[in-house]
Amino acid sequence: MSWYSHRVERDLARWQAAGWVSDTGATAIKSDLAARKSAISAAGIFAILGAILFGFAIMSFVAAHWTAMSKLSRLVLILAALWACYGAAGYLSVRKLDAFAQAAILGGIAVYGAGIMLIAQMYHMEGSPPDAVLTWALGALLAAGLAQSRPALAAGFVLIVVWTVWERMLIDAAHWGFLPVWVAAVALAVWLGWRPGLHLAALSLLIWLTPLGFFVLGRHAHWLVALIGAGTALAAAVAGPAIDRHLPAAHALFAYGIAAAFWALFTAQFIDDYSFFDHQRARSVGRLLLLAVLTLAGLLAAMYWALQSGNRGALWIGYAAFAAEIFALYWRTLGTLLDTSLFFLVAAILVSVLAWVAYLLHQRKLLQGSA
Amino acid sequence: MSMTTLRKLIIALAAVALAQTGVLAAMVIDRTLLLKNGREITLPIVPVDPRDLFRGEYVRLGYEINTVPGALLVGPPPAHNAAFYVTLEKNPQGGWTPVKVSAALPHEPNPNRIVLKGRSRFLTSMQVRYGIESYFVPEGQGKRLEELARERKMAARVAVDARGNAAIKGLIIDGVLQYEEPLF
Repeated sequence: MSWYSHRVERDLARWQAAGWVSDTGATAIKSDLAARKSAISAAGIFAILGAILFGFAIMSFVAAHWTAMSKLSRLVLILAALWACYGAAGYLSVRKLDAFAQAAILGGIAVYGAGIMLIAQMYHMEGSPPDAVLTWALGALLAAGLAQSRPALAAGFVLIVVWTVWERMLIDAAHWGFLPVWVAAVALAVWLGWRPGLHLAALSLLIWLTPLGFFVLGRHAHWLVALIGAGTALAAAVAGPAIDRHLPAAHALFAYGIAAAFWALFTAQFIDDYSFFDHQRARSVGRLLLLAVLTLAGLLAAMYWALQSGNRGALWIGYAAFAAEIFALYWRTLGTLLDTSLFFLVAAILVSVLAWVAYLLHQRKLLQGSA
Repeated sequence: MSMTTLRKLIIALAAVALAQTGVLAAMVIDRTLLLKNGREITLPIVPVDPRDLFRGEYVRLGYEINTVPGALLVGPPPAHNAAFYVTLEKNPQGGWTPVKVSAALPHEPNPNRIVLKGRSRFLTSMQVRYGIESYFVPEGQGKRLEELARERKMAARVAVDARGNAAIKGLIIDGVLQYEEPLF
């Protein structure tokens, strides 16, 4: 049973006891919940996991370079496995075993990747390894589009992330070629109407975006990423209802925007100058103080808005980011330990005053409500 | 699922399998043509640091031509990891020496010269990779080849096509062709 239906049943018992919901109404709601059982079944999950394991089996087989079989027969074996996977997907669809059909498509994508590796091994090809990953990713996206397969799209997102991270390592520059492929994958997720796919899209873009400051505009341009993240969060907060009319995504956009902005500010404070690992290399304390105040104030504002708009995801990101920020400050220290202590004391007083103001506002609202 | 959507799905699955088979086939054909029709050159293998030679299940092959003097560069320097072209000239010892580096594919009518496509991560030292630096071996055989490379004179027979792509055809140990690669 899903978390959602658990919660509804718990609330239903309370509403029934209060007399707001009739007994017949409660029974109808319960049977509706049972009928709309989650599409994700244990069988589906295990089938997907099985396909992933199968994929690793065939990739290890290729890596083992087993010479008891000739090159040609290994190639034929891989191609036969490829066709068997997609054939099985078709057969399983006919038998209405959709979860298993999806797993078979995923298996086909894994075999395709193993085929690329086998050919590279057969001919001692080196080339540029990310190109091979891109070839694999495009095969996964093709399967996702033609067979309308969500697991294939998930595999595609994982592969384009591997591709861009690897390519960026090699070219040591911003990898703009990622964006058109990413847009194509997002278009697929929208077309398939797959909400978790949009989360994968956001996460993969986040992985691409957050280190961008290291590669553009003088290689310390974390402010750019922070502005993009904060701008996204602000737009999601201001234009939330307008966005939600098209696609209920304002909450998620706000949360991802906050995550990107925080990570960029954290990078600018502690990672960019290696000060987290080596205090000697730290830039000026004034700069760190300014960024720390900006980060903490921004996080408080974001958490306030998350509470107001009922955005639990953003609230949790806010808590985690707040904790990470103060631990890093404590570790890195603002000047001397005594200065750091003073900073935390001032911050504590300010946040406590904020808490008191929030309490007074809440009380006044309650009084107005009862008057 | 209705009959028509099911039929569509099966056609889609066949199209996916066909397209992916096509990509794999194109890779094989591309390599086969290169090995069959490419010009053949022999490059002496220099002993690489033995600790580095055996990594996983492939042997790392080092060549004299991996080190290219930066002064040979003609025109603008290539970007990181972007492909560029190294012109080699036959030397009296029977090996090949880099004589020119360029971002565009040069036309070389001189039969004593050949052009190889390479990539380099660190342009200052010009350590160039031609895609022929890894030799994949069956599980457990890397050690043996590593010892051979240290003790004997080794060279690689390499096929090069008109676009500068290179592929290993086989390994020559003490003047005898061993480890010859069948096309399939």
